Amino acid sequence: MIDKAPEREIKICCATFYQSDVVRMLLGDILHPGGLELTQHLGEVITLSEKDKVLDVACGRGKSAIHLAERFGCHVTGLDYGHENVAAAENSASTRGLAYLTTFREGDAEGLPFNDGLFDAVISECSFCTFPDKATAATEMSRVLRPGGRMGLTDMTVNGTLPDDIQSLLSWVACVAGAGTPDQYIAILESAGLGDFFVEDHSSDLLSMVNDIRRKLLAVELASALGKLELGGLDLSEGKRLALRAVELIEKGLIGYTLITAKKELIQRNGTNQ
Amino acid sequence: MTRSLCPECGLIIDAQVLIREGGVYLRKYCTEHGWHEALVSSDAEWHLNSLKYNKPGAIPHEFATTVKDGCPSDCGLCPEHQQHTCVGVIEITTRCNLVCPTCFADAGAGCDLSLAQVESMLDRFVEMEGRPEVVQISGGEPTVHPQILDILAAANARGIRCVMLNTNGIRLAQEPDFVSQLTAYRPFVYLQFDGVSTETHNALRGQDLVDVKRQALDNLAEAGLYTILVATVVQGINDHEIGDILRFGLNYPNVFGVSYQPVTYTGRCLNHHDPLNRMTVPGVLHLLEAQTDGLFRVSDFRPVPCPHPSCSATTYAYVDGEQVIPIPRLLNVDDYLDFLINSAGPVLSDQLGPALESLWSMAAVAGSEKTTGALNCVACGISIPLSSKPELKPEQFFVVNVHGFMDEHTFDLKRLMKCCIHELLPDGRAVPFCAYNNLGYRERARSRLEVEND
Repeated sequence: MIDKAPEREIKICCATFYQSDVVRMLLGDILHPGGLELTQHLGEVITLSEKDKVLDVACGRGKSAIHLAERFGCHVTGLDYGHENVAAAENSASTRGLAYLTTFREGDAEGLPFNDGLFDAVISECSFCTFPDKATAATEMSRVLRPGGRMGLTDMTVNGTLPDDIQSLLSWVACVAGAGTPDQYIAILESAGLGDFFVEDHSSDLLSMVNDIRRKLLAVELASALGKLELGGLDLSEGKRLALRAVELIEKGLIGYTLITAKKELIQRNGTNQ
Repeated sequence: MTRSLCPECGLIIDAQVLIREGGVYLRKYCTEHGWHEALVSSDAEWHLNSLKYNKPGAIPHEFATTVKDGCPSDCGLCPEHQQHTCVGVIEITTRCNLVCPTCFADAGAGCDLSLAQVESMLDRFVEMEGRPEVVQISGGEPTVHPQILDILAAANARGIRCVMLNTNGIRLAQEPDFVSQLTAYRPFVYLQFDGVSTETHNALRGQDLVDVKRQALDNLAEAGLYTILVATVVQGINDHEIGDILRFGLNYPNVFGVSYQPVTYTGRCLNHHDPLNRMTVPGVLHLLEAQTDGLFRVSDFRPVPCPHPSCSATTYAYVDGEQVIPIPRLLNVDDYLDFLINSAGPVLSDQLGPALESLWSMAAVAGSEKTTGALNCVACGISIPLSSKPELKPEQFFVVNVHGFMDEHTFDLKRLMKCCIHELLPDGRAVPFCAYNNLGYRERARSRLEVEND
């Protein structure tokens, strides 16, 4: 039996970390590689339309959910573990006049608070890798999809074993340490009743994002050295080190970013019609 | 070991790199003309340290030529070349309104490229690079081209990050209206500026241009056009003005950089020289340190890793009124070399601007939401007080760059193969700048142009 307490701690820390101003400053408003452009591409690949009810698992501050609703006219439900994120998402949806197409709620990816077969499509961006129990999360996402429904992930992927030094909590937050290979993800999704896979590499988006973070670290360091910004006790060196390592590992092809789409099978493996 | 040129017959011959009495020399033997030696770096320590900065290049989307006769005879680029084009140079005319004794391009009378030719060269550049970084509209004197504004517009329309205009400034000084027209195209002006004294201008340009340069700069300042001063540095002529040029630039509001280029003995500049006693990249750095009383020190500079690291040295400084602080004294720039210093053109890093902007825009957001004007990290409990007013702007950073081009004495094939400053030609080729000027590419391209365009 796996001890659940540290896992819960990680999830809370993760969600809290993403809510902090410093992280928002370093990452900008978009918390996944490729930004809204890749989100839209994902929506096109899984052919979203105004007829669809969509679930965005780990929706953060709702940027992608709102964008998909606006672009495709679908109804999007956003789910996030962080309380502040959900409030912020609701707030920006109503500011954008898209409250009627969006719903946001707090919840856990490993126990989705929805009935079976409720959604036509489920997406999750840069989050699957952070779920400690991926099999359960995949089963849950599959459960809330109707038969024939589409699943779309964009996520951190690895290629082989990662060096020890990036298996720290901070790198967990940065989605690295919990990431699997595209094949591992596919195997997990397949066991959860999904099939008809499509895989596309988007590692260059990850590289741009890491370099964007490095640019901002440079700006923070400069501002601090010139006395324009008081960093208090915050030490940037670990962030700098990790970002440099990330560039190296992406360039070597050891970590990457991958788009995976799948369909929920109409007929379950045990042969019975659903 | 590398390959170089016989300075007498131009034959490509083997060469050794020697370190002697703190300097670095190329020593080579031509079967017909015997031994030759040339100084390539006056600071062996800088040279050896710079080699650590070499980083693998990126290849262009496509090559224009195949490997037939071997480097450096297949330029275009050929698949053996080790770096894509960071800076594409288009010489839109061979005409010039000056007749400088030092012109590497041997400009004067001549002919223009047509707008259609330039457009197709720009299209080709985009094809090779995707989104090109820098294009230098050069010459001759590009401002004498009747369609210079259309050419700048064509470059802008292709999404090239930085469009530079290389000019001697004569037209800019004489025609304030022309400068006003330029503002619509926002070029980075790369202004020839060899010194502050009449003697320097007379020696290098054949006439006194002190007032012309000042007038051009005043007009540029009026128009708010970003300008970089570009100085050709010649031992014994203007090497005592290296510090003055820098101070002059720092005092001009729209000048945000100085680029020093040790003279090369190519083109018209073939007479007076001693290959053992000449200006080098670290030579400029040491003089700069001495002539600015340490405002800039040799240790503030880093080799640029994008071309061969022996070719170029750069630093940035933060400037606020009288205060000038080289960035390497504020932080470890080696952590950020690929952002700050990885460009052969002395362009204010287009990386720094967005970074500073996002920093302050986020600060403004944090401040307005929380009213405390602080960044709060919920996870670690640290609160960072931050003014929401932007206090650091890209314009406050001043770049100083030294780029050493090569001539027949200093020609080093290893450096050439990593070159990222390329002449773009009407036939679609891109030829490394120092190959273009030393190996007959310029002469062949020019006679072809004169046949086709006259």
